[in-house]
Amino acid sequence: MSVWKYEKTRVMTRRMIGLAVLFILMGFVIIGRLFYLQVLQGEKYLLLAEKNRISVRLTMPSRGTIYDRNGVKLAENAKTFQAVLIKEEAKNYQKTLDNFLKLIPLEEDEVERIKKELRWKRAFMPVRIKDSLSFDEMSLLQLNAPDLSGIQIEEGMMRFYPAGTGNTHVVGYVSLLTEKDVEGNTSDPLLDLPGYRIGRTGIESSMESVLKGTPGMRKSEINAMGRTVRILEETPPISGGDVFLTIDSRLQNYATRLMSQYAASAVVINVQTGEILALVSTPSFDANLFTVPISVKNWNKLLHHKYRPLQNKVLSGVYSPGSIFKLVVGLAGLESGVITASSTVDCKGKTKLGNHLFHCWKKNGHGPLTLEEALMHSCDVYFYEMAQKIGAEKIIETARKLGFGEVVGVGLNSESSGLLPTEEWKLRRFNDAWRMGDTLNLSIGQGFLNATPLQIATAVARIAGGKNIHPTLLKENIQNNSEPLDFKPYYLRLIRSGMYDVVNKRGGTAYAVRINVDGQKMAGKTATTQVRRISMKEREEGVKSQDDLPEKYRDHAIFAAFAPTNKPKYAAVVLVEHGGGGSRTAAPLMKQLMEYVLELEKSDEKELKNELF
Amino acid sequence: MSFFKDRNCYLKDYNLSLMDKIVGFNYLYLLFICLVVMMGIGILYSVAGGHFNPWASKQLFRFVISLGVLYVVALSNLRLWMKYAYVIYAAGLVLLVAVSVVGHVGMGAQRWLNLGFFNLQPSEIMKIALVLALARYFHGAGLDEVRSFKFMIPPVLMTIVPVAFILEQPDLGTALMLVFAAGGIFYLMGVQIWKFMALISLVALSAPLIWSFLHEYQKKRVLTFLDPESDPLGSGYHIAQSKITLGSGGVFGKGFLQGTQSRLNFIPEKQTDFILTVLSEEFGLIGALVLCLLYTIIIAYGFIIAHRCNNFFGKILAMGLTINFALYVFINMSMVMGLMPVVGVPLPLMSYGGTAMLTLFISFGLIECVSINREMVIGRRGSIDDE
Repeated sequence: MSVWKYEKTRVMTRRMIGLAVLFILMGFVIIGRLFYLQVLQGEKYLLLAEKNRISVRLTMPSRGTIYDRNGVKLAENAKTFQAVLIKEEAKNYQKTLDNFLKLIPLEEDEVERIKKELRWKRAFMPVRIKDSLSFDEMSLLQLNAPDLSGIQIEEGMMRFYPAGTGNTHVVGYVSLLTEKDVEGNTSDPLLDLPGYRIGRTGIESSMESVLKGTPGMRKSEINAMGRTVRILEETPPISGGDVFLTIDSRLQNYATRLMSQYAASAVVINVQTGEILALVSTPSFDANLFTVPISVKNWNKLLHHKYRPLQNKVLSGVYSPGSIFKLVVGLAGLESGVITASSTVDCKGKTKLGNHLFHCWKKNGHGPLTLEEALMHSCDVYFYEMAQKIGAEKIIETARKLGFGEVVGVGLNSESSGLLPTEEWKLRRFNDAWRMGDTLNLSIGQGFLNATPLQIATAVARIAGGKNIHPTLLKENIQNNSEPLDFKPYYLRLIRSGMYDVVNKRGGTAYAVRINVDGQKMAGKTATTQVRRISMKEREEGVKSQDDLPEKYRDHAIFAAFAPTNKPKYAAVVLVEHGGGGSRTAAPLMKQLMEYVLELEKSDEKELKNELF
Repeated sequence: MSFFKDRNCYLKDYNLSLMDKIVGFNYLYLLFICLVVMMGIGILYSVAGGHFNPWASKQLFRFVISLGVLYVVALSNLRLWMKYAYVIYAAGLVLLVAVSVVGHVGMGAQRWLNLGFFNLQPSEIMKIALVLALARYFHGAGLDEVRSFKFMIPPVLMTIVPVAFILEQPDLGTALMLVFAAGGIFYLMGVQIWKFMALISLVALSAPLIWSFLHEYQKKRVLTFLDPESDPLGSGYHIAQSKITLGSGGVFGKGFLQGTQSRLNFIPEKQTDFILTVLSEEFGLIGALVLCLLYTIIIAYGFIIAHRCNNFFGKILAMGLTINFALYVFINMSMVMGLMPVVGVPLPLMSYGGTAMLTLFISFGLIECVSINREMVIGRRGSIDDE
């Protein structure tokens, strides 16, 4: 072998070994990296791969139904049809949207939302164009289907309130979530569901936890585009529980119609069981307005209405109970022994306390009166005089037993506790001692004292039935065996007898509204509560007629009643804001309401008999 | 050996009959090659969700054709390849020029010449042609010649000219492969180490200049390589998903046809450049190591064949093609594992693709040819007795 060849072979062999070493090193790099990725980091990457492929979606549970006492549906889930646009199925989705808007115009901010969603949502995800299509709209869309490629009609569930606007304040409404609802509340998976509607007011809100149900879960495998390939695991949603109420939707709607001209409240309670048959606040509104996002126009209309339709006045409106509180004072007097059935006070039209005069509503006085007569005529002086002897403490104690000053707890969230003033409270609030003048104001239900129509009705129901009932809207809370009230039955009978005279004795403040439904009579008590103070000057000039005053200065009119008088079953309160006078405005409404209650009972009984035979 | 009297003996067999050649063929070497291809076809079957279409069946068909081509090349006369080495190189160069003039635009790069029935990729031809040309050039070169500056000018030019055209296409991966293969041959021939060092320093210093010549997408690739998390849904997405796919296989893998990442399309180009990730996902570290072992055996055979060859042309040819193959494997694997920018190099023998398969099998055919003709004597200037 020649020298050059020998030399070349030697160099090449040596360098081949060098190259082999380099390749082995490269091989170790590869194997090392494989080991790092697959063994050391394997679990991490396995998790990431799972996260890639699995999508967990929640499915909506159907919300519980709300029934009234007779099984009438007050809130239910109605099938609705909504139009959605699927981008990838449209030839030209912008054109489709334009065509749609030509057929069914939408509000501007809705169009903005749709355009935004069309921009960011994936091509196969449906974008909601319009909820709850009417029949006409559906047929319109079907007729023009060729121009609407990509539009699909989907079936959806929607909250629907079929039983009339009279139930709105009890049932409440649901609406879509806002950012505030989601903030700070991460535990409830329902809040992540698009299209989930939460209870805002009424039973919908207070019974939210029962009604909402548990969302189902769908675990599906998705590909890199986000499209579902197959469903791996599915847990069906659990429907929300139904809620059964004590209210009678016929009565609700009747009372609402009856009082629709006023800012008024009405409550009807079964005095034996605490069932609330009616809880009405007017004016009312249609809860269905809220299930589709309410328009700004409608919202402003409700918000700025002078009669505050959005407020449930029965629960959260606080008023001086006025003369109705005389029932409480009378009872306190009997209990403390200050008042007996025959003890009298001579009313001369005013009572002097120090150098301050307290006037009776009847300028010239009633003359000598017993307790029953004082209630019948609603004499102020009788109670001024008696209250001084009874003392504020006893009156307050009695009022508390009847339910003043604390929340009743009917099953709704927005109840106000009213105010039952005490010595201690006054000291804390005004840094001032309790004075006899305060006692006198208290004795006729004025002054610091205030209460909700619901509290007034509770007190009247307890007096009428003699049972310590706790009014409720929920059937599950009905008390069939409540304990008797902590008062002597005889005293309660005396008070009831006074209330009987108010309505059924000539000269009683509500004689005009006496009723007779198959011999069943009503007893009651009027109240007219001042919204403004009457000055001495005015009193001298003669108190102005209520009709001459601007509406906002007119007195509130209250009438509390129970029926039938021989065996009390129903207690009711009607309160008309700025109604003028208890006997003039509230009492006639009560007459119609109570008559309707009794007629309703009669017809229901008849129906039951017919069914039996 | 004075058996050959004729000076012009390129076309003359020395003493091998066809039967000798068939017997001398290295069947074990071919077996390992075929094993890798079969693994590839299996993965392509899985990638298609357990179907032969669209990839596995076509790949199988190409495999059969390529196998025929390999055999024909292996049985051909080695001298013939030496004789026409420069011609083939020149033809490759002409095609490269042609592709840049009338090249077909695909994937943002001009790489193919559409011949009607077949998309010709001149850069693939160049991989072999350059090695052939360099093997012929260095066949008779003495060590002193190799170490002279003047002698090295033609081979360097032979390398730079096609690389420039391929870079211009632009195809960074193939260009790098040509540079490394040529560099490998220079190294084997005995070029001093300091010259390589000097060249590397020069390139490093002129890196900013090169940077400005890179295409926008090439820059982006390098940048996302340096920080893949910076763009998780853009180019970095490929690297991130590729690592997830690979890593999630663990030691034993998810099982054949059970790879979620590939089946749900989380990896792009899963049937071509990223096929290793699918193998690793379904067969885990074990599967990947088996593949690495097969590649190592194939590369080792290249070395052994080159070492046993008696003539330098065959030695250099076998080594050049083996270096090419090894680089191919290394670049693809590092790219897929996030050790290197995504330069678009397929995994040889595994990835789906007709041209790449054919070129590889021609290479292996040539190595087999070298193996068969290892005893052949080729004179310093091409004849038999001019030593």
